[in-house]
Amino acid sequence: MRVTYNWLKDFVEIKIPAKELADKLTMAGLEVVSLEEKAGDFIFEIEITSNRPDWLSVLGVAREVAAITGAKLRVPSFLSARRSGRLNSQANKGSLKIKIENKKDCPLYTARIIKNVKVGPSPDWIRRRLELIGCRSVNNVVDITNYLLYELGEPLHAFDLDKINPEEIIVRRAKPQEKIITIDGEENRLSGEVLVIADKDKTIAAAGVMGGRDTEVSQGTRNILLEAASFDPIVVRRSRQALGKSTESSYRFERGVDSSMVSQASLKAAELIRECCDSEESGFMVSGVSKPKDIKVDLDTAYVSKILGINLAAAKVKHILTRLGFKVKHKSKNILIVGVPSFRQDVRTQVDLVEEVARIFGYELIPSSVPAIKPCVTISERRDLVSAIKNILTGLGANEAITYSLVDRAGLNNLGLKLDFGPIEIMNPLSQEQEILSPTLMLGLGRAVSFNLNQRQEHVAIFEIANIFKGAKEPEEELTLGIALSGAKSFFTGQGLVKDEAGLSNIKGMLEAVFVLLGVAGYEFISQGEERADIYIQKKKIGSMLKLNRQALRSLEIKNRDVFLLEASLDKLFAFARPNKIFTPLPKYPGIARDISFILKEGLSVKDILALLKGKGQPLLREIRVADYYKGSQIPLGYRGLTLACLYSSNERTLTEKEVQPIHDLLCETLTRDFAAKIR
Amino acid sequence: MDINSIKTQIDSEAQGISSAGELEEFRTKYLGRKGILAQLTGTIPSLALEQRSSFGREVNALKDKLLFVIAEKQKTLLPGQKETTFSSFDAGMPGIAQELGHIHPLTRITDEICAIFSRMGFSVVSGPEIETEYNNFTGLNIPLEHPSREAFDTFYLKDYAQMLLRSHTSPVQVRAMKERKPPLAIVVPGRVYRPDAVDASHSFMFYQVEGFLVDKDIKFSDLKGLLEIFAKAVFGNDIKMRFRPHFFPFTEPSAEVDISCIICKGKGCSVCGRKGWLEILGSGMIHPNVFKHVGIDPKKYTGFAFGMGVERIAMLKYGINDIRLFFENDLRFLRQF
Repeated sequence: MRVTYNWLKDFVEIKIPAKELADKLTMAGLEVVSLEEKAGDFIFEIEITSNRPDWLSVLGVAREVAAITGAKLRVPSFLSARRSGRLNSQANKGSLKIKIENKKDCPLYTARIIKNVKVGPSPDWIRRRLELIGCRSVNNVVDITNYLLYELGEPLHAFDLDKINPEEIIVRRAKPQEKIITIDGEENRLSGEVLVIADKDKTIAAAGVMGGRDTEVSQGTRNILLEAASFDPIVVRRSRQALGKSTESSYRFERGVDSSMVSQASLKAAELIRECCDSEESGFMVSGVSKPKDIKVDLDTAYVSKILGINLAAAKVKHILTRLGFKVKHKSKNILIVGVPSFRQDVRTQVDLVEEVARIFGYELIPSSVPAIKPCVTISERRDLVSAIKNILTGLGANEAITYSLVDRAGLNNLGLKLDFGPIEIMNPLSQEQEILSPTLMLGLGRAVSFNLNQRQEHVAIFEIANIFKGAKEPEEELTLGIALSGAKSFFTGQGLVKDEAGLSNIKGMLEAVFVLLGVAGYEFISQGEERADIYIQKKKIGSMLKLNRQALRSLEIKNRDVFLLEASLDKLFAFARPNKIFTPLPKYPGIARDISFILKEGLSVKDILALLKGKGQPLLREIRVADYYKGSQIPLGYRGLTLACLYSSNERTLTEKEVQPIHDLLCETLTRDFAAKIR
Repeated sequence: MDINSIKTQIDSEAQGISSAGELEEFRTKYLGRKGILAQLTGTIPSLALEQRSSFGREVNALKDKLLFVIAEKQKTLLPGQKETTFSSFDAGMPGIAQELGHIHPLTRITDEICAIFSRMGFSVVSGPEIETEYNNFTGLNIPLEHPSREAFDTFYLKDYAQMLLRSHTSPVQVRAMKERKPPLAIVVPGRVYRPDAVDASHSFMFYQVEGFLVDKDIKFSDLKGLLEIFAKAVFGNDIKMRFRPHFFPFTEPSAEVDISCIICKGKGCSVCGRKGWLEILGSGMIHPNVFKHVGIDPKKYTGFAFGMGVERIAMLKYGINDIRLFFENDLRFLRQF
């Protein structure tokens, strides 16, 4: 909304410079986003909040200026309420009938017939003001309706009377298949949502939004019908949405136009048209009610003080509200009866008045205090666990990523994942790139890997913790961990620089670190072929990890690189988390450690071997684990070298070599006999 | 050279090997692509048919022997490693440790904000990203057909009636106030969505932190005091603050909160649009209608609520000029935090 300094001065005396006024308006809730000096005037661009349609006019802003600065508002005489009553009683001299199909859609419609209009350019003063606030001058009649829209906030529309059937004006919903070409030249197919103005033969305007092209005022126009009306905000909103056109008119109607000023605006327009276009008036027809209900609100001034945290005397509250145009009377010492003016449709309850008092009193004058907070300590375990996981993964060298949860269906399909549920679709996406809610983190992470490989990163290790979405019977979201690795990681060791090519084992190791951190027991990684493994905790599947196949890589535009991805449900995982540790007493007696090194045929499951040996080694074998693993020139093709570390111990005594030897021999024997291992 | 003399040669040469370099030389000499064994294998086709298999076996035995010798040598050499590059400590050379990854800047800022409020006694609560129209709008005193909804343009779900992606974290106010009884001191971090075309300052997905305090006798002055503590904790003690009247359907009175521009210290620069002030959050006293929706008696309780965009705070704090950087996941970006 733009207003100028001089235009405001028509309604209120301003004694402070424009810049100072801008600051004061901002601090009163009319945020001045720019102030420009032009042609001897200042243009204020103000952001008007949606609750204050009354500020969408020069008069409304002037009223605020008066309240802030203490100056008197000069209300033009034609706006007085008495005048309004007189106006309507003089109405309905003329032959035109107004028919409103539903008074809810249009509580008030006025039509004024003005004859012998000379259409031409506007007087300079009108054109200059309109141009300063960014409104293009069309002709004197149209400019006058626009001028009053900006000055009073009352949208008006002028029709060429000779292009409409002058018997009757009908306000009704559009019929199916009905069409109108609006003044922007577009043909609009209408629906029953749209309220229209029509004559007996045709549609002539989309009510409150835009007039029709065929009845617009042009150079040849001689006689006009001037419309000033009040339309239902929701109806105009729906019409505007259906037509896809937002106009200065619809913007104001949607927010609420003061219906008590409709007739005055029409009269003022007629006066200006007579002045500028040499016209004569020949009729004024009104249908509907122009008098809004009287609203009165009781305000307890103690409530004002309680909400704001300041002590305000009733007199001070009354003074502020009166300056804003409220009619205030005392009900008792501290209770005020506040009459709400018709232009303040946003004020209906006590608390609305509290805000008005606070605004004009000045937020900056309200002191600061510190509330006594009674903590309600709830342990948000999930959040703490998520934090802990992020910390451990970054400790392992991965970077946290955040990817969009809205993705394209094609991208998802190209990954070739098997999903339990279809993705959730967005009804009103901005583009195909955001048409579904992602049922996986793998797509976003895969794309982030691709992006970074394109930036010539040698090694990419990223993870994300976010919701994935499933189109089940009810839409579901599941907190999920995703990890992606690609390329070779270089790091220093005591032997110099080492390059470690990423693989599924690296991902597995990272997840195992998370399991250890969270105290998850009984987890298993079960291979599904060479390039995929599923992850289980106590027989329940919580996720999987995989190497992307060629097709997926191609769809991500990744060349000559492997990408490894993991996705695991944290919602499922957290059910098994036992982050609270329980101490196991340390062994009282030292154990005996023995290693077994052997060569084993590829393809035999180490997991199975360990399980079997663990059983055979009882009761003394406390622990058995893979201590070394190697392949290379000293190992025959199709075999791998393994070293198992065995720890024997007892809680009752110190073991002797003699006791351990037979058990250890049994383990070695089992390896050679059952698995054809070659002990080295 | 016959195979037997090669064997003797191997044994004597192996004795003299004392470093990993020498071992590697030894390996290449015999097992390399043009090594002695390769040469021997190369002669096989020129042998008489009956000689071929026995000669082949001998070459294989030789290979096994070599592998064994090398493996043994490796074992003896490994513990020593005297000659490697890092044998003596050079303080100028890189240290040896696992390279650390980095937490995303939005997580950092979210955690920082939540931590400040946690220390003041607030609990951190979260809510779902898929919400009902009621929790996102109606329960927060936002009428469905009102222009105030324009500010909360929303993605709706296709096959689920009246379900949407929350356009702010405020629906968690409705949830938390229904589930718990006052006094309440809660902060809510989370992802939110609005159909905005993506550019340097807009994203259709972003993060907010929401907070609210409900008790008997909570006042507007408390809101001012608490948010001042917060802003100073995030941006430093030197900043100035101002509270401007604004409109939010779920608070009344409502205020937008500005801090003096941290770049130009209030003089006016391109970051603050020459205003000298930066808007950082929206706030206000919880509207009595919101209390009525959740079953809290507005005569008995009052409260305030506030909300802020995490990207906005992160951009100001870290000097980031493009919101898209947060979601591109460029490692060169992420590694800076």
